[in-house]
Amino acid sequence: MSNHDTALDRRDFVALSSALGLAAFVAPGCASTVVAGADEPKPLKVALIGCGGRGSGAANQALKADKGVILWAVADVFPDRMDACLKQFEKHPAKDRVQVPAERRFAGFDGYKKAIASGVDVVLLCSAPHFRPMHLAESVAAGKHIFCEKPMFVDAPGYRSVCESVKAARAKNLNLMSGFCWRRSAPERATFAELEKGTLGSVMAMYGCYYTGPLGTKKREQGWSDMEFQVRNWQHFNWLSGDQLVEQAVHSIDKINWAFRNEPPASAVGMGGRQLREPIPERGDVYDHFAVVYEWADGRRAFLNCRQEPDCYFENTDWIAGTKGQCFINGWGPTHWMKDPAGKVLWEYPADGPKPDMYQAEHDELFRAIRAGAVINDGDWMVVSNMMAVLGRMAAYSGQKVTWEQACASQESLSPPQYIMGPLEMPVEKKPGQYKVM
Amino acid sequence: MTEQRPADTSRRSFLGAGGAAAAAAFAAPIVLTSCRAAPSTAGARLGPALSDGRELTVGVIGCGGRGGGAAFDALKAGPNVRIVALGDVFEDRVRGVAAGLAKAQPDRGTVPESRQFHGFDAYRKVLATNCDIVVLATAPGFRPAHYAAAIDAGKHVFFEKPVAVDPSGVRTVLEASARAAERKLCVVTGTQRRHERCYLEAMALVQDGAIGRPIAAACYWNQGGLWHKDPDPKLSEMENQVRNWLYHTWLSGDHIVEQHVHNIDVVNWAMGGPPVRCVATGGRQARTEPIYGAINDHFSVHYEYDGDRLCASMCRQQEGTDGRVDEVIHGTEGTLLTSSGRAEIRGRFRWTFAGDNPNPYVQEHVDLQEAVRGNAPYVNEGKRIAESTMTAILGRMAAYTGKDLSFAAALADPMDLVPKDPKPGPGVKQTVAIPGKA
Repeated sequence: MSNHDTALDRRDFVALSSALGLAAFVAPGCASTVVAGADEPKPLKVALIGCGGRGSGAANQALKADKGVILWAVADVFPDRMDACLKQFEKHPAKDRVQVPAERRFAGFDGYKKAIASGVDVVLLCSAPHFRPMHLAESVAAGKHIFCEKPMFVDAPGYRSVCESVKAARAKNLNLMSGFCWRRSAPERATFAELEKGTLGSVMAMYGCYYTGPLGTKKREQGWSDMEFQVRNWQHFNWLSGDQLVEQAVHSIDKINWAFRNEPPASAVGMGGRQLREPIPERGDVYDHFAVVYEWADGRRAFLNCRQEPDCYFENTDWIAGTKGQCFINGWGPTHWMKDPAGKVLWEYPADGPKPDMYQAEHDELFRAIRAGAVINDGDWMVVSNMMAVLGRMAAYSGQKVTWEQACASQESLSPPQYIMGPLEMPVEKKPGQYKVM
Repeated sequence: MTEQRPADTSRRSFLGAGGAAAAAAFAAPIVLTSCRAAPSTAGARLGPALSDGRELTVGVIGCGGRGGGAAFDALKAGPNVRIVALGDVFEDRVRGVAAGLAKAQPDRGTVPESRQFHGFDAYRKVLATNCDIVVLATAPGFRPAHYAAAIDAGKHVFFEKPVAVDPSGVRTVLEASARAAERKLCVVTGTQRRHERCYLEAMALVQDGAIGRPIAAACYWNQGGLWHKDPDPKLSEMENQVRNWLYHTWLSGDHIVEQHVHNIDVVNWAMGGPPVRCVATGGRQARTEPIYGAINDHFSVHYEYDGDRLCASMCRQQEGTDGRVDEVIHGTEGTLLTSSGRAEIRGRFRWTFAGDNPNPYVQEHVDLQEAVRGNAPYVNEGKRIAESTMTAILGRMAAYTGKDLSFAAALADPMDLVPKDPKPGPGVKQTVAIPGKA
């Protein structure tokens, strides 16, 4: 099975899963076609949709997770992205299992349909987030097991679509593994299991931050249409990425959602802006910093600050205040501890505790579940984490206090008029007080 | 007296020595109302409704809206108070307040023209009169110099918040406050929540343990826009900056310092002192016209207090956005919610302020005058407001620079934004602060 050195064996995984409320159960009869033989694993054919950095990484992790994995098809809007991605696997230890001839490299906005229909068992959904809801819906309709990168959607119509796909995936006993990687990180799992045990009492407040630098841009090349320019710079366009809060800081929001037991907040107040003031088209319309306050009906609160600004202080940590003390999480550190109000350490993750690669762990668990005929469906909580981020962005863009219900029912679609490589208006940055949540 | 609790439970012990056992003993939350004697620890701070005794004379430096308001509030504080001198940079401001006082309070508010001073050195002329108390209410950038001069002139002081705009100013205020203490000169500041009964009762309860140990906090000053003054071609750039002082950091400290210091001061109060460090974001996203100088229109600061306790502070001045001005203190046993005129504790103990809440803007003058007359103990709020002002400045510095800043390092920073000898002429050059570059 896995050739990856992971500290979490199957038993630990089940124990943690139940402790954390993760849905992992054996579904009889659902996976008879892929159960491994006694000696040699049956092949599991995989399609990679979205061949950027994250997609290449996910394909690598899938190949490492299971010796039966065959990378069978790829899709991307741009042919050069597929070629560049596959080139990286030419010297890969598992290069024999990378079997993607030209006829199974599907370009264009609808390439994903052909990749999903190419006879694969598993799909890795790693394109720019805007396209994820349609990729997910198609994958579920075709009955594929799914690795679904975060974020899963960028707007409320996308949220509603993904909710439907989650339900349909459950009905079909499909694995749906989210790319919220902290949920598969051993120190974070141990921390949140400790939280769930009540070591900190009841959680009252949480403070998260994701302070980091700006993402790269691509200069416009001759012959690029407006659409191509925007899609190649997708991180910097709200309609494509969902903006920084949804695309990146959603990891911190996911930890908030984890600590708050996957219960959506009642409302959010937010702020943010473009303080770097770089008047270059590559920077699109996204903000370079956000701040959001989430409030729950029962009085719990969570606070998130994030920024992508160069030459500033970088930090990615979480603080949790409970009735019995405080918890500090530094995934980058890694440092994880709980103290009582007097400062006495109640619990800490051992300095020599296992810290396996969480990205690899996602794929190890996904393929292990597929082999075992088990089902992992992250859907119910992943849509909450993702929608909390969309809610926060709406609050920040508008300057309004936005309720969860308002955000989920929003009719604002970020989709362009049509998916063709052609003219497309440059979006304009949002001004609080002028932009309204519709 | 409708306080409902077991007769043998003293206020000081109403959390019990051993939290859990005490909690188990009370099946229902204990409901306290404020229709009762003042809490013991706040008794000295809940002054009488009126001040009386020997005549006190007051000079007012800074005749804008707040200075004029403070002059009237000083008169309302007691019958035996007279306004004897007025000063402002601008003659029309002095004449305006003089006319208003003479009309409304001809016997105690009429200030002869010979004691109506204008110009950048008007404050020295006010301090040269024989007034007992000075009200310092100019643009905040001038406050440290005015305050130090007032103490050196042997005056009791009422000085508006904020009391400085930069670390040098804060250090000046700290030094002058120490000199005031040596000379027993009374100092009260315009953070009126410290003199507002609902806050005083709430904080007395908190200090007695009603919410357990305060371990997390949030505070907000989110609002629409504020007034501005278009440049007057007859005035120099410097004078125009002073007229439009809100929008110049060297004069106002930016709105986090000028306005949000109120809420930050409340959190410092609950947490037992200023924070140790902070990280912040902020920007200028909606209010970008040149008339608004170079200040930001939003800030979000995560302050860290000793003992791993955090506070999220958020402030905004953006037209057309939702307003919110309040404070939240999460303790291990409950939550305190406060805003002007309102205080409530939720948790194992429930309490809502319901008594009379005398005008805190008058009460702060009552409390000062009583102390000056010796009817109340000596009062000196200088160090405390210097620390709260510095807390707000720290948040601004962190947001402007994008750096991780400690309170101690920021307080020691040589930053000095205010010209040594301000006079009509060129103004102070300012640019929008870009994190990583500022």
